[in-house]
Amino acid sequence: MADVRTLLAIVLGALLGLVCVLAPGAVVRVQTAGRRPDGTGGEYGTDTVSTRWKRVVQALGIGCLLVAAGLVTTL
Amino acid sequence: MAIVGSILFAFYAVAAVVVMGVFQWPLWLVLVGSVLFVGVQYKIGKWMALRSVGAEDLSEERAPDLHHRVESLSRDMGIDKPRLMIARMGVPNAFAVGRKGAGTVVVSEELLRTLDDAEVEGVLAHELAHIRNRDVVMMVLGQGVASIVAIVAQWAILMTGDNDIADFFLAIVVGQLTQMLVMVFVFAISRYREYVADGDAAAAIGTGEPLARALEKISRGAEGRDSEVDTQVNALCIFDGRGGLANLLSTHPPVEKRIERLRR
Repeated sequence: MADVRTLLAIVLGALLGLVCVLAPGAVVRVQTAGRRPDGTGGEYGTDTVSTRWKRVVQALGIGCLLVAAGLVTTL
Repeated sequence: MAIVGSILFAFYAVAAVVVMGVFQWPLWLVLVGSVLFVGVQYKIGKWMALRSVGAEDLSEERAPDLHHRVESLSRDMGIDKPRLMIARMGVPNAFAVGRKGAGTVVVSEELLRTLDDAEVEGVLAHELAHIRNRDVVMMVLGQGVASIVAIVAQWAILMTGDNDIADFFLAIVVGQLTQMLVMVFVFAISRYREYVADGDAAAAIGTGEPLARALEKISRGAEGRDSEVDTQVNALCIFDGRGGLANLLSTHPPVEKRIERLRR
């Protein structure tokens, strides 16, 4: 029978991967709020994130999805 | 906001109880550790913020008008005049770091080129309001709580598992998702504080119109500036525009809403 923690890792990992791919700006803001000034990747009055960081987070998101897929094969 | 603050405190309290239970830390050690963690984040954050944009001191000889305006606004708002710095950010921008009594306001060269004097005053008043209202400290504190809760969640997973690859992956994922969850509440406070700073800026200069015009001018200027690469990347980010998840995970309210409130 499948281990509950492995199942959780697959489901939550896939969820995090999808969030990283579909909303990379939000993920960057979660990490940088209170640590970096707002809007340095955009304009005054916004919290726009630079395209470079969005790509990095999307790549990490794809990595997450791949690890989750890899764990599926161990079931 | 009191409810949101209480929820944040509850997150922290649960994390503290877990640390006390699992690691056998006494309460004083948990509290000292938390203060040190947030203090280091504050110090490093301020230094990194200024360094990341290459901010330089803006001398009084170089910009006497700007200094005079900041001094007058600071007096009206009842705070010490903050250090004034300038940076080349590539976009019109301004931000405040530090706390009341030891604040710094950074403006970009592009902002000073784009806006007229009254609009710049509106932006400065907004940033000074952030310093007076201790919003920078509040954000560092919020991020500190989110990080502490995420670290505790990660360790809880690691210490209760078999330490196989699935456990390590689960710990990382749970840490990230927990931080995101806590930050939803921090962002709610941040968006509220933006409206408060807008209102305080309008009160300090007698009208919200200059700041509203500044926001309008900057957001109009941003339209059509997206490169083709930006457009391609953003096309994938279907939840990054304004909408449910983006609204929940934004530090600022929509510019249109701020302009509308400033003109009310």
